[in-house]
Amino acid sequence: MATSRSQVRIHRHPDDVWQVLRDPMRIVEWFPGITGVSMEGDVRTIVMASGLPVNEDIITIDHRLRRFQYKITGPLPVSFHLATMDVIDIGTPESPESLLTYSTEIVPDPMSFVLDGATSTAIANLATILNDHAEERS
Amino acid sequence: MGRKILFITTDQMRYDAIGANGGRVARTPVIDSLAANGISYDRAQPTNVVCMPSRATMVTGQNVGTHGVWMNGVPLPEQSASVARVLGEAGYRTALIGKSHFEPLLDPFLRFGENQHAMRGETTGSHGFEYMELATHGAVGFNHYAQWMQKNHPESLGGFFQVLDRELEVSGVPGGDTGAPQIKVNPIDPEWYHTDWVARQTMSWLDSIGTNDDWFCWMSFPDPHHPWDPPASEMHRVNWRELDLPENYVTDRAQREAIIDAKPRHWRKWYDGEMVSNYEAPAKWVPATLTADQIREVNAYAHVENELIDEAIGRVLAHIDAKGWGDDLDIVFTTDHGEFQGDFGFLFKGPYHVDALARLPLIWRPAPSAVQQDPERVSKPVGLLDLAPTFCAIAGLTPPSWMEGKPLPITDADAEARGFERSLIEWDSCQPDGTDVHCRTILRDNLVCTMYRPGTMHDGTEGELYDLVADPLQRVNLWDDPSRQSIKADLLADLFDNLVESTMELRPQAPV
Repeated sequence: MATSRSQVRIHRHPDDVWQVLRDPMRIVEWFPGITGVSMEGDVRTIVMASGLPVNEDIITIDHRLRRFQYKITGPLPVSFHLATMDVIDIGTPESPESLLTYSTEIVPDPMSFVLDGATSTAIANLATILNDHAEERS
Repeated sequence: MGRKILFITTDQMRYDAIGANGGRVARTPVIDSLAANGISYDRAQPTNVVCMPSRATMVTGQNVGTHGVWMNGVPLPEQSASVARVLGEAGYRTALIGKSHFEPLLDPFLRFGENQHAMRGETTGSHGFEYMELATHGAVGFNHYAQWMQKNHPESLGGFFQVLDRELEVSGVPGGDTGAPQIKVNPIDPEWYHTDWVARQTMSWLDSIGTNDDWFCWMSFPDPHHPWDPPASEMHRVNWRELDLPENYVTDRAQREAIIDAKPRHWRKWYDGEMVSNYEAPAKWVPATLTADQIREVNAYAHVENELIDEAIGRVLAHIDAKGWGDDLDIVFTTDHGEFQGDFGFLFKGPYHVDALARLPLIWRPAPSAVQQDPERVSKPVGLLDLAPTFCAIAGLTPPSWMEGKPLPITDADAEARGFERSLIEWDSCQPDGTDVHCRTILRDNLVCTMYRPGTMHDGTEGELYDLVADPLQRVNLWDDPSRQSIKADLLADLFDNLVESTMELRPQAPV
């Protein structure tokens, strides 16, 4: 099993970051390369820019921990997958700041490079969006 | 009008693949004729022995530490330095047709521009090229050749070797008569095979530009890189059963393993199937199981592919002659890195900086209208680093300061006068299972010295040192030889004096 982790600091209160992450449908707003999303119960289906659909089970949406977990179930050739996003408060009342981590455990191993490259780009993109939005508001 | 430039590359071709360099199997009369009318380089090296870093060096003229593409799966940013952009700004029409591999191929999110263009059927260039039509090994993925095959000859898609298995690992499924990995009898019509497609699209692009245009065209054949699956109709050219074994294949198993055991430990680890250092070698294939007949059969397939490339080049050159450009045409022929093809009992490639992977065919046939070139052989170290400045020099341009090589020398005396003393190779790899290998190599004074940095395989004390004069097959590792410690220290000091160190995080964006 391969594991990977990306992280980014975002100059926003963790509640602001969590507001985006907690909604499974909003992934198209911040994850480059995902062009479509739909939900049916706890199953999310995303569509990659290549046209490939991917089915995911949403496992955890924990508002207390600000933790979001999902696993890919198909049709990618993945025999095990668990992705975890955590939003951690690292700021102060005067200077709100969040640490967003995106961890992946996956089998087969080669998929980890594909997903790690995409997720690290995605959370950097989310940070840019939220930080720009913060500047617009300030 | 200025000189036109046809830059021809193959992928994963050995120095000795062509007749001009002593190859005795594949008939390569067209490439040999370039050597007969140009300059052959007997010690041309890449900056890295896998595709993406090496190709990034070709287009940027920079070391790995500068352009940052340290391994396959690491993209070359679109706005990186590019000799194509330099030539384009000087008025050249520019195209790359065939395999670019400036960006990762395995890209389900379609994050990379070249894949996006190809998927949309666009020929918009990137990395400084005005035009691109891309191909890779086989007919899958986001490239123009795959799209063309899917549209026009879908019934032939299954003829190619399926590179990835169900676990997305590089497949070692046995094929052919001997059960060798990554070979397949491919019933495809030769005209539909990517070698012919690349040549045909090159001629088509040349037909699209003006007679008075100056142009730089990179014609980039995906072969003879594995998988080895050339058209079945051409397999009669080379009978694997009649092939000699490679000079550097040691038939006696005990002797072969003793040679491997005298090298740093990752050699034996890979041989025994206990480690794979990079994605492209089949994950479940064990080199120790490789038989002599499998080597013969793999080599037969590679020789057939090389003959097809030679013939395709011949058609393109005839086309160029017919258009009246022949006298003004500079031709540079090379490859991105080599291939074991049985040396030491291995196939494929990895962190092994021996001649099989690091000594490349490189030929420059200057434009007859500019230079009356007698055949010349240059023995001093040169490299793919020197190509971009050479293209600038051909175009009458001063190479930009960000290029780190020099225009190729035309004789050994010229090389000596202009300081062609050494060539460096770098390797960094990090596998998903945590295996990492990091090494740096210097070639100087007919000595090859490789030091291994600490990683999961090495503790920082291991290395390789070969005397290419006394031991051209690089079988005797002198790294720990007491009599060589002084020269070893000198080589390592020279290596670090000239090495461009990267500060990049070693994090691939894709497996390949």
